[in-house]
Amino acid sequence: MAFLEVKNIKKSFGKTEVIRDISFSLEKGEVLAIIGSSGSGKTTLLRCLNFLETANGGEIIVDGETIFDAERAKKYTDAEKRKARLRFGLIFQQFNLFPQYTALKNVMLAQELLKTGTKQEIEAKSRDLLDMVGLSDRLNNYPCQLSGGQQQRVAIARALALSPDILCFDEPTSALDPELTGEVLKAIKALKNSDRTMIIVTHEMNFAKHVADKIIYMADGIIEEMGTPEEIFENPKSEKTAAFLQSSKENDGV
Amino acid sequence: MFWTVTLSLLEGFVNTLKIFGMTLLVALPLGLVLSFGSMSRFAPIRFIVKIFVWIIRGTPLMLQLFVIYYVPGLVGIWAQSAQIDIPVINLLVEWLSTWTIMDRLAAAFIAFIINYSCYFSEIYRGGIESIPRGQYEAGQVLGMTKSQIFFKVVLLQVIKRIVPPMSNEIITLVKDTALVNTISVYEVIWNAQRFTKTDGLLWPLFYTGVFYLAFNGLLTLLFGYIEKKMNYFRS
Repeated sequence: MAFLEVKNIKKSFGKTEVIRDISFSLEKGEVLAIIGSSGSGKTTLLRCLNFLETANGGEIIVDGETIFDAERAKKYTDAEKRKARLRFGLIFQQFNLFPQYTALKNVMLAQELLKTGTKQEIEAKSRDLLDMVGLSDRLNNYPCQLSGGQQQRVAIARALALSPDILCFDEPTSALDPELTGEVLKAIKALKNSDRTMIIVTHEMNFAKHVADKIIYMADGIIEEMGTPEEIFENPKSEKTAAFLQSSKENDGV
Repeated sequence: MFWTVTLSLLEGFVNTLKIFGMTLLVALPLGLVLSFGSMSRFAPIRFIVKIFVWIIRGTPLMLQLFVIYYVPGLVGIWAQSAQIDIPVINLLVEWLSTWTIMDRLAAAFIAFIINYSCYFSEIYRGGIESIPRGQYEAGQVLGMTKSQIFFKVVLLQVIKRIVPPMSNEIITLVKDTALVNTISVYEVIWNAQRFTKTDGLLWPLFYTGVFYLAFNGLLTLLFGYIEKKMNYFRS
């Protein structure tokens, strides 16, 4: 059985079906990129995995343990949800750093609240993480003193602080100025080299092509096509996929 | 004469400060509780709190002072004359009848606390609802509990946002204390009016303005200091 198994996830808001039956699996250390046009349900899928939305149907299994089963969804206690949630980390499009805390404290806070170690251990780990994303000289800066790219890198360190099994990125560079996307993409690439399991929702086709082991193209709430970067980018089987890739290529050219 | 007047006004101003302090002490936390009520996901609670806030904000504070001061006594008298002979009710009647001699200052405290809790609750609600949802979600995906998210993530941001409207309301409170005059609580204006009545002097009345101005000046400085203190982050 694969490390992450997502089975038949469904989600609707009112009468609008946003996700209509999605299944995929991921091995440990694999990087999955999810691409697709706006409104295809990519972000909602990611939010379901992180329990920010409760899926109406389906199961999520991590490392053999069923952490979500829609049939039991209403019975989950807050504590159970919090525990299951820690399997996943999430990096938001809008960073969502806590503005009143320094970069270091942003990374430390959740560890302190969950008491994952002594104060010294937590601080040392947080410093290491910020060092890893290249921000060791920004430890005591507040988010408002950091550029968008730096804020997003703090957010990556913050998500890593709780050592999640699977790290999710929700369009991590979409809110950034073009000249700042590079530093964030570089940080994510470095994580791939350290064998992290990741799911990345992105509009950066080139990045997806180079960093992902597996690509999912989503359209209208279903997986239109799934495969390796070569399969998807070089020989798309579905016409929809080909059309989407073509139009995003044209936009890049403009 | 100047010193006699000053001393007498100062004495009155002590009551002003008592009402001010007591109101803040109770209404600040009570307002927060009310704001949770008005944002409750449980509709009946939300409805009751909203109606309550509507009534209190929709009627003059002066009228509320009259109601708090006179109505319990009236109920006591009515209950006594109705002669209901049920032990529990009798006890209640006995208790209510003591309200006829309710302390004027206590009535003022109660009316001000209720009135200002409602205003504060709306300021809190505005502040809490203005925090972006992403802040809650960031806390959630980091495994925080609801109360951890509120106290560790949201609260300070709310405080930063509500300092300006709060300082406005608190300065209004200082001046509103003059209303207790209507139920004969001796405060600074009441004491000044005594000089008008007994000595025919008008200037003590105008002189009271100095006390309000001085105190509000201090408050303005204090709030300016707090705003500056919280300038280190932007939210």
